[in-house]
Amino acid sequence: MTISHHPPEELLADFAAGTLEEAHQLVVGVHVAGCPRCARFVQAIEQLAGAALEDVQPVPIAPDAFDRVMSRIQESPKERAAPPPASGTDHDLPPALRKYRIGKRRRVAPGLSLRPIELSGSGNARAFLLRSAPGSRMLEHTHTGTELTLVLEGSFSHEGGRFGPGDFDYGDDEIDHRPIVGDECPCVCLVAMTGDLRINGFFGRLIGPFVRL
Amino acid sequence: MIAAIRAFKVPIRAEAGLSRRVAARLSIGASKGPKAKVDWADLIGRVALGGDREAFKRLFEHFAPRIKGLMLKAGCTADEAEEIAQNTMIAIWRKAHQFDPATAGAPAWIFTIARNLRIDLLRRRVRADRLQSGSELPDEPDQAETADILLSRVQDSARIAAAIKQLSAEQSMVVRLSFIEERPHPEIASTLGIPLGTVKSRIRLAMNRLRDILDEEA
Repeated sequence: MTISHHPPEELLADFAAGTLEEAHQLVVGVHVAGCPRCARFVQAIEQLAGAALEDVQPVPIAPDAFDRVMSRIQESPKERAAPPPASGTDHDLPPALRKYRIGKRRRVAPGLSLRPIELSGSGNARAFLLRSAPGSRMLEHTHTGTELTLVLEGSFSHEGGRFGPGDFDYGDDEIDHRPIVGDECPCVCLVAMTGDLRINGFFGRLIGPFVRL
Repeated sequence: MIAAIRAFKVPIRAEAGLSRRVAARLSIGASKGPKAKVDWADLIGRVALGGDREAFKRLFEHFAPRIKGLMLKAGCTADEAEEIAQNTMIAIWRKAHQFDPATAGAPAWIFTIARNLRIDLLRRRVRADRLQSGSELPDEPDQAETADILLSRVQDSARIAAAIKQLSAEQSMVVRLSFIEERPHPEIASTLGIPLGTVKSRIRLAMNRLRDILDEEA
């Protein structure tokens, strides 16, 4: 798979620094896990962070910290085994997604269904898998807000280009597209969307008129 | 913009000692002097192989206070920074066998552990605030909740290290202040004595430059 649309670099740097909210971190992380080019960028930011760690002014740690750490290590020296994947039967999903619980598919409009992804509840954006029928066409809408979209299967196109598996689309209020889903097969995307009614981007336009997520 | 977690950060602390810290920050990229270079990767390897307590103590003494320092800079409270520093050291012991010098330098690897623990801590805290009760929450997150989702690593650490050296000192500095220390742009402008617009354009240039260098190296 050739990836031709990548997240903005600032988003990758926020991802590397660990400052994205969960839904955004998930979508960017799944892209990065499948994109060596962006993985290199993230690793470069991590190396810069490592250099910052070396340069930072040390701050004294609690006097008993080493002993406390050692006694906790002695209690359980090894990592706990990872639990079985939460969404164990979804072998088609990218590995980074399998540890999340994913809700049942529900139909939101003709040719359109979504599966919500259970997050920890700390952020303001939701994440979900969205499946749309081949050849679906969008109505024009105007919204504000931000939406991150990662194509997992199939494709869609708008004036920004064609988006196939692994491609990342960053939608904000400056962009006004009329996307069309590719004819070849259903399009499955991982989407992070702010829980605001004023939503934007491909799928915001698609489902905005029909559902409140 | 995207970083909602930032909204939960404590306000920037009182800027006592600012000038000294600024001076220290501005030494980025400067020579480290004749200080003997410790092979942290070797120490981590000794922890992985034989549970070498002496090696671990040296790692602890060097990194725990630095993790705490960096977490404080990035807006954690003193208690949070202490907790993250201690938990990071425990994770270093437990994950030492996973450390691969081909994918990251030791400080970068340790940063990623601390970063993930901080994400977990902030998420639990936000969730606890929202539930208005900490009692339902486990002390340690499940594996399923941890932030560690970057599964593929590029075996390229030496080339990545060479690439970031090609950034100018100014560019490295602005990336560090903005993303790693999470300073707001107006504060970066006053710290560096440059206009706000220059901060934004310098970040953009640094991002583009880093992409270009990495693409050329690939």
